[in-house]
Amino acid sequence: MGGQGGRGRVQFTFGDALRLGYWYINRRMDRAMINMASVALGISFLSTLMMTDAFYRAFAIAGGERLSVETYQYWLMFVAIVVCVVGITNAMLIAVYERYREIGTMKCIGALDRHILLLFLVESLIQGTVGGAVGFAVGIVGALLSTGFTIGFDILLKVPATEFILLFGGSVLLSMILSVVATLYPAYRAAKLNPVEALSYEL
Amino acid sequence: MSFDTIIELEELERYYEMGGVTIKALDGVDMQIGRGEYVSIVGPSGSGKTTLFNMIGGLDRPTRGRVYIDGVDVSQLDAYELAWLRCRKIGYIFQTFNLIPVLTAVENVSLPTIFAGAPRDEGLERAEKLLTSVGLGERLHHKPTELSAGQQQRVAIARAMANDPAIILADEPTGNLDLNTGMEIIDILHGLNKTRGMTLIAATHDLKMIKASDRIVWLRDGKIENIERG
Repeated sequence: MGGQGGRGRVQFTFGDALRLGYWYINRRMDRAMINMASVALGISFLSTLMMTDAFYRAFAIAGGERLSVETYQYWLMFVAIVVCVVGITNAMLIAVYERYREIGTMKCIGALDRHILLLFLVESLIQGTVGGAVGFAVGIVGALLSTGFTIGFDILLKVPATEFILLFGGSVLLSMILSVVATLYPAYRAAKLNPVEALSYEL
Repeated sequence: MSFDTIIELEELERYYEMGGVTIKALDGVDMQIGRGEYVSIVGPSGSGKTTLFNMIGGLDRPTRGRVYIDGVDVSQLDAYELAWLRCRKIGYIFQTFNLIPVLTAVENVSLPTIFAGAPRDEGLERAEKLLTSVGLGERLHHKPTELSAGQQQRVAIARAMANDPAIILADEPTGNLDLNTGMEIIDILHGLNKTRGMTLIAATHDLKMIKASDRIVWLRDGKIENIERG
């Protein structure tokens, strides 16, 4: 393996990252739950408002009064989402500190900076997807509870299916983006770790 | 016994700046290590053993001097090639084992095969074989916390072997183990060196390890103080 053969390339595909990320989340459920709950909270706020709006529109089309969501509620939602992003960044930074040695070890057995980056981002992508789906479900329940008593619970059946699908897709997509954005800085920190220092790090 | 050269160190120097003071962790080390050789590196803590390992392992770059592995100058390699070197050519064993705590034994051992680009099943199969060969065939799906220190170190040895490297770097591999467990680890490492012809470089204080080696290199203050035939 000498000479030219001594130069090769390591590999780490998205699929590998997905598998490892799944292992990590599965075995460190407590921290993953915090992140997922955080993003789910922000997304549920969003989908509650969007769904409420959809209910109101459906109600108006069915001949009811035209109700609308207040602007200040959207501002509250915005704040909630910012808080959730900051929360995830914080949790992921702690996760990076916890995993100093692991990151050093990974680099020792062939991981490149970008592989570590990918690993953390994929983890947050998975958390974002689950959190988004959960947030969407919670949001629908929230919207129903807040409007159902005044305009009737059967409003759920009057909203076109495409609205649900669009809102679901949008919620999950936004959740994935928020989660990844929140993890960018922690993941960068992890990727840039010097393996020599990381290996001698005592928590 | 004679060996063809696999590692060559040429006037290797590594200085650190610490609070305005220059620390000479390595201060002009010249050495050749043969393929299949078993070398013990001995010296007090702070003598530069770990720095030397980091140099050979491509984890750190020298201030001056060169490291050749299989005739390739390590300082000429880019990040990808260095990672490949660490992945395929070198197996690391640490005093503190450094297993990934959330992964099972077999997953830990298969990890280097992922970076080497091996298909998943092949990597797991190889990991199972290696674990069985170090006597952990019954403990494949245990996590590190469910294993004794000696067992953890055996998992670490299996992981170091995962990509069939030419060189094993063992930094105080028996440092955290009791006498008997340490002996088992030494036997396994010695066996790998003899049967597979793996070059074994071990930093150690352990007299039993030192006795088993082909050559003993004494380091002090970043310099080679003495080299002895084992």
